Amino acid sequence: MFLKVELPWNVMIPAENMDAKGLMLKRTILIQLLEAFASKRATKELGYYLTVTSLDKIGEGKIREHTGEVMFPVVFSGMTFKIFKGEILEGVVHKVLRHGVFMRCGPVENVYLSHVKMPDYKYLPGENPIFMNEKMSRIQVDTLVRFVVIGTKWMEVEKEFQALASLEGDYLGPISEE
Amino acid sequence: MSGEEEENAAELKIGDEFLKAKCLMNCEVSLILEHKYEQLQQVSEDPMNQVSQVFEKSLQYVKRFSRYKNPDAVRQVREILSRHQLTEFELCVLGNLCPETAEEAVAMVPSLKTKGRAHSDEAIEKMLNDLSLVKRFE
Repeated sequence: MFLKVELPWNVMIPAENMDAKGLMLKRTILIQLLEAFASKRATKELGYYLTVTSLDKIGEGKIREHTGEVMFPVVFSGMTFKIFKGEILEGVVHKVLRHGVFMRCGPVENVYLSHVKMPDYKYLPGENPIFMNEKMSRIQVDTLVRFVVIGTKWMEVEKEFQALASLEGDYLGPISEE
Repeated sequence: MSGEEEENAAELKIGDEFLKAKCLMNCEVSLILEHKYEQLQQVSEDPMNQVSQVFEKSLQYVKRFSRYKNPDAVRQVREILSRHQLTEFELCVLGNLCPETAEEAVAMVPSLKTKGRAHSDEAIEKMLNDLSLVKRFE
């Protein structure tokens, strides 16, 4: 799910970037904020950081003793994407293996759907392997699939979420693109 | 997996901060990200290089999974769904997945039928019907 979040944050401006003109300062703070936001990538609590939508408040700057940087407390609004257990989502298959398929869903690169969680689908090997059920419904690379999330995992080092998916439930499975 | 009480979006157990947070439908995210991208195009030769990988992947995703493209339609969809006492999370799941029947809607959002909430099948059908009208006239 995409979320709209409001976050307090501290922006550090190196002394040499301080400018007497107020307008330039606001611009410098915004640029620093955007850079810090993009390099943050994701957190366990809020998920993937997409974009800043507005800079709502800039507090009073405080000079840091040792570095001479100026720290500005700011409040901004932004957008994140978090994947929840129990959530029903749609994704795109990007890899088909004997034991299951990997799907992409928003910024999450690896949502794994094991063959155990789609028991009516059989693996058909070949140059372009596919999973197919008795109703000839196919899951292959580029197929859009609606699934339920049965587990999520945050990986601190990679700053990445992984998820496990299942097709066990009503109205889940491959979907046709309009 | 998350701690104390087990997370389960189907029962709306996703943590208080998220229940109160504003959720966004794919079509809304698409409008915002595309607008951001256009702004970048105006100031940069190579805008794709200016955005993070997370931004790029999300943009591709929401472009593919937005059922409504036109800003007026997107606004109407939120307005229609807002009339039905849904949480933000439920509203966005319905707006994203566009179920066709009340049965499908309840399968996608099981919490519609829990805790003695007053979502009759008729009310759900009416809501889905209003949404399909938006789609048809988009």
